[in-house]
Amino acid sequence: MSGERARILVIDDEKVIRDSCTRILIPEGNIVKSAENGDTGLTLFREFHPDLVLVDLKMPGKSGMDVLEEIESIDPNVVKIVITGYATVSSAVDAMKKGAYDFIPKPFTPEEILLIVGRGLEKRRLLLESETLKVEQERVRKNMISLVSHELRAPLAATVQYLEVILGGMAGEISSEAKEMINRCDIRLREMLELLRKWLSLATFDSLKMADHFENIDLSGVARESIEVLKSLAKEKGIQLKLEAPVNLSPIKGSKVSLEEIFHNLISNGIKYNKAGGWAKVKLYERDEEVWVEISDNGFGINEEHLPRIFDEFYRVDGRRNAPIKGSGLGLSIVKRLVEAHGGMIDVESRFGEGTTFRIGFPKFFQPQKEG
Amino acid sequence: MSQKKRILIVDDDPDFAAAIQKILTSAHYDVNVAGSVNDGMRMIEEEIPDLILLDVMMEKYDDGFTMCYDLKHDDRYRGIPVIIVTAVTEVTGLKFDPETDGEYLEADDYVQKPISAEALLTKVAKLI
Repeated sequence: MSGERARILVIDDEKVIRDSCTRILIPEGNIVKSAENGDTGLTLFREFHPDLVLVDLKMPGKSGMDVLEEIESIDPNVVKIVITGYATVSSAVDAMKKGAYDFIPKPFTPEEILLIVGRGLEKRRLLLESETLKVEQERVRKNMISLVSHELRAPLAATVQYLEVILGGMAGEISSEAKEMINRCDIRLREMLELLRKWLSLATFDSLKMADHFENIDLSGVARESIEVLKSLAKEKGIQLKLEAPVNLSPIKGSKVSLEEIFHNLISNGIKYNKAGGWAKVKLYERDEEVWVEISDNGFGINEEHLPRIFDEFYRVDGRRNAPIKGSGLGLSIVKRLVEAHGGMIDVESRFGEGTTFRIGFPKFFQPQKEG
Repeated sequence: MSQKKRILIVDDDPDFAAAIQKILTSAHYDVNVAGSVNDGMRMIEEEIPDLILLDVMMEKYDDGFTMCYDLKHDDRYRGIPVIIVTAVTEVTGLKFDPETDGEYLEADDYVQKPISAEALLTKVAKLI
C-alpha cells in the first residue's frame, strides 16, 4: 500500500470470477490484476507486488494451496484470501493453516467481496505498520547499544589504560599504599568493563546470525581447552578439575566461540563457588540423537529458593555489594541463550552445601529455523 | 645505537592516546599522536612512521576501517604495519571479528582497549 491505492491480485481459472472481481474492486480505487492459473499468478505476484491476493483453491495445474504456500514463503505480510467453490469447512481450515487470512465462498455478491477485501486490506495496513515499528525499534536499539558502548566503555578504557601506566611504574614511583588503592580501582573498573561486555553481548545477541557460522564441533576438544584455560584459576583456589569423555564423541553443529563461552562460564562457576580441596568435573556422553554435557562441582550449592531464577538476567544468588564472590548476574542467562541457539536445553540440580550439576543436551543434527 | 623507531597513534581519545604514548616512550619509541584521520594522513605524508596504532571508531564509526583500507591500497604506505585498536568488537552495526574481517581489513594485528603494557609492547616489537 505504497501510496493510496491498494494492489490486488486475483488468481482464478474462471473468467467470470476474474472479471467480476475486477469490475467490483476497481471502482473502489484499487489497482487490480488477474491471472488464470497458479504459475502465471505467481509470476505476476513477483512483478506486481500486491497487497492482497484472492486465490481460487480449485484450479487446473498448480493448486490454490500450493500457490498460497509459495506466496507465504515469498512475503508472509501479503494478505491472502481464498475463493472456494466447495465451501467446506475443512478446505478453508487447511487454507488458513497455509497462511490465508479469510475465505469467500462462490458465488458471492459484490457486498460480500467488498466486505472481505476491505477487512483484508485493513489487516495489511496493520501488518505494514507493525513491520515499520519493528524496524524502527531495532534501529533505536542498535543506536542505543552503540552509543552506550562507545560513551560508557571509552572513558573506562582510557582510565584503566592510565592505571596500567601508573601501576607499571612508567609515571614514576608511588607508595605501596597508593599502589594497593590504585590496584583496587583497576580491579573495580575492569569488573565494570566486563559487565558492559556481557550486557552488550546479551542485548545484541542474534541466534540466527550466529547459526550462519555453525560448523562441526567436537565438544571434548572444547572441554579440554576450557579446562586448560581455567587451570591456573583452579590451582589458585585449590580446586581439582576433571574431565570424563568417551573417545570418538559425535560432533554437534555449533559455534566454537559460543560453546567455549558456555564451558568457561559453567566450569569457572564450579571453581569460584567452591572451597579449597573441592573439585569441578566435566562429563560428556551420548544418548540417542543428543550429546550431553554435565558440569558438576561439590561446592557451595544453590539454595532451592533461588533455583527457578538463576537463569534470569541480572539475578544473583548473593546480591550483596560486599558479597565475597562477585558476579554480574548475566553469566547464566548468556549460557542459556547460547545453549538454546544451538537447539539445546539446560537444567540445573543443586543441593545447598553439597554441590551443583548443570546438564546440557545438544542435538547432533540441529537445523536452525529461519523464522521465529 | 640505531635510531629510535617512530610510531604514530591515531585516536580521538586524548587520554587513551596519552596513556599508550607513555607506555611506548618508556620502551624508547618515538611516538606522535594524531587526533583524527585527517591529521593522521597529513603526518604520514610528512614523514612515514615505522608503525601505526589506529583506533577504528572515531568521529564516525568506520573512520579507522576506511583509513586502514586507504593505507593498504596506496603503494607509498602499504608497507607500514598497522595495528588496529578497538573497543567495539561487540557493537551491533559494527560487529567486528578479527577472524572473519581481518582479511578484508588487511591490518597487521589487533589490540583491544584497554591493553596491558606487556601485550602491547610484544605486538609492536613483532612488527617493527
